[in-house]
Amino acid sequence: MSGDMGRLRLLVMLCLAVALPTPARAASCCGGGGGGASVLPRGERALLDLAFDLERYDGYWDTGRIHKPDPPGASLSQARLSLTGAARLGGPWQAAVNVPYAWNRNVYAGAGQASQTHGLGDSTVSAWYEAWTERSAWRVAGPGDLLPSVTVGPTLTVPTGLSPYDDVASSFDVTGRGFYRLDGTVMLDKSYRAWSGSLSLAWGFHLGRPVNRLYGAWVEPYRKRLGDRTSASGSLGYRTFVGTGGSSLAFSGALSWLREGQGTIAGQPDPASGMEKAAVAATVTWAGTDEDWSARASWSHAIQRDGWGRNFPTTDVVSVGVRYVLR
Amino acid sequence: MCCAEPRAGRPLLALLLLLSGCGLGSDLLPSGADRRPAVVPGSVGPAVGQVAPDFTLPDLSGNPVSLHATLAGARGAVLYFTMWCPICDAHMSDLRANALPAFPAIPVFVIDYVSGSVAGARASQVASGWDVPGFTYLADVDAAVERFYGAPMAVVVVGGDRVVRMNGEYSWPRLRAVLEALP
Repeated sequence: MSGDMGRLRLLVMLCLAVALPTPARAASCCGGGGGGASVLPRGERALLDLAFDLERYDGYWDTGRIHKPDPPGASLSQARLSLTGAARLGGPWQAAVNVPYAWNRNVYAGAGQASQTHGLGDSTVSAWYEAWTERSAWRVAGPGDLLPSVTVGPTLTVPTGLSPYDDVASSFDVTGRGFYRLDGTVMLDKSYRAWSGSLSLAWGFHLGRPVNRLYGAWVEPYRKRLGDRTSASGSLGYRTFVGTGGSSLAFSGALSWLREGQGTIAGQPDPASGMEKAAVAATVTWAGTDEDWSARASWSHAIQRDGWGRNFPTTDVVSVGVRYVLR
Repeated sequence: MCCAEPRAGRPLLALLLLLSGCGLGSDLLPSGADRRPAVVPGSVGPAVGQVAPDFTLPDLSGNPVSLHATLAGARGAVLYFTMWCPICDAHMSDLRANALPAFPAIPVFVIDYVSGSVAGARASQVASGWDVPGFTYLADVDAAVERFYGAPMAVVVVGGDRVVRMNGEYSWPRLRAVLEALP
């Protein structure tokens, strides 16, 4: 595999990490703190990634898909520091762990309705299998050269964050959703010269759990389950070299969509559950000459218009990150 | 190149250990045990079976509304504590679609505990598109009632006998059963 192909794949994966919808990130009333996916480029041994996200809330979609503003005087945000490690287990198999730490800042107009809390977010453990590797990023001599690289694998979300069912004082303290979730993901990525494209499709389900506490108060026990989740995202990127040393800059745009079905409380449908979200993202990534270091900055924006989501906050996320790949 | 040494998995193992060490919260092994403390009959408090104390809050026109005065003329009352969030919006929509038509004689108080003033609560109500009839909107200006019940985005049912019948996560089937059982 050429170094340039490896670099292209690294950039594509970074684009995907931004594009993958992570609505569990939303904090405050909706639970949050989750991080994104991280996939090791083909042929590389391991990577470490450190990312800092700042997510600002600005309204929400209601259950009728109408976009509404937050209450006057409200200012809600969450900052996250996420550490990700990925390593090749052997052959086409790799695994990754993502651990986020979240800081919530919630201010409402009412006296005493301001809080700054922090805690571990929901973590993820992933396994990836490189099912197919594209032949060439430089020429198309036959139909086989058009086939994209294919990566598949499961991701387990572990509820390490503070959820409404933990010993928290209010909804402002929440940094996680409180449920295990298992997702299966298929990722396609294809590079051609300076261009790269990616597509990610995922489906997952939450495991049900008993609940005996709500915002710190013991309640009559019941069983709760969140709905199944479907997501899709795609990105398109362009890379250019900078200077004469071989460093490069990549620019990418992404579109993501996510839907979570209705959950249940004590076996009955929960009308407050289920949501849908569409978002766009833009990323610029710098990669060093020897491909081991890269840094990125991105902006993700939920489309604040009627019909582009349902029952979920609309947010803007600004992220910066640095990644080191071990060959 | 694709078959790197398994030693590369060591940092991953360290992260997994870190993850397992950090994840000591109850969410990792959630319990369904009933840990509600025993309630002394006749005691005042927010728990199911306790007597709800009176409160008086202004509605969004500034008129005082008393819980006990309301209960004097009704089988019970529903309290919903809103912060005008997506989940609150969904709960309120469901209450409006189900509870109001099914139990028209039982008042539903939507209590704003985040806006800090009657004018602020009114502004939040209008901004959120909830300037609609059916509920009695109240302003819990200092959030004292919400803190007493400890019920953000949750529903509380107080019977006409002033006894708390429900205090927890919103669920229409459960709320309906509680309302139907009111004497």
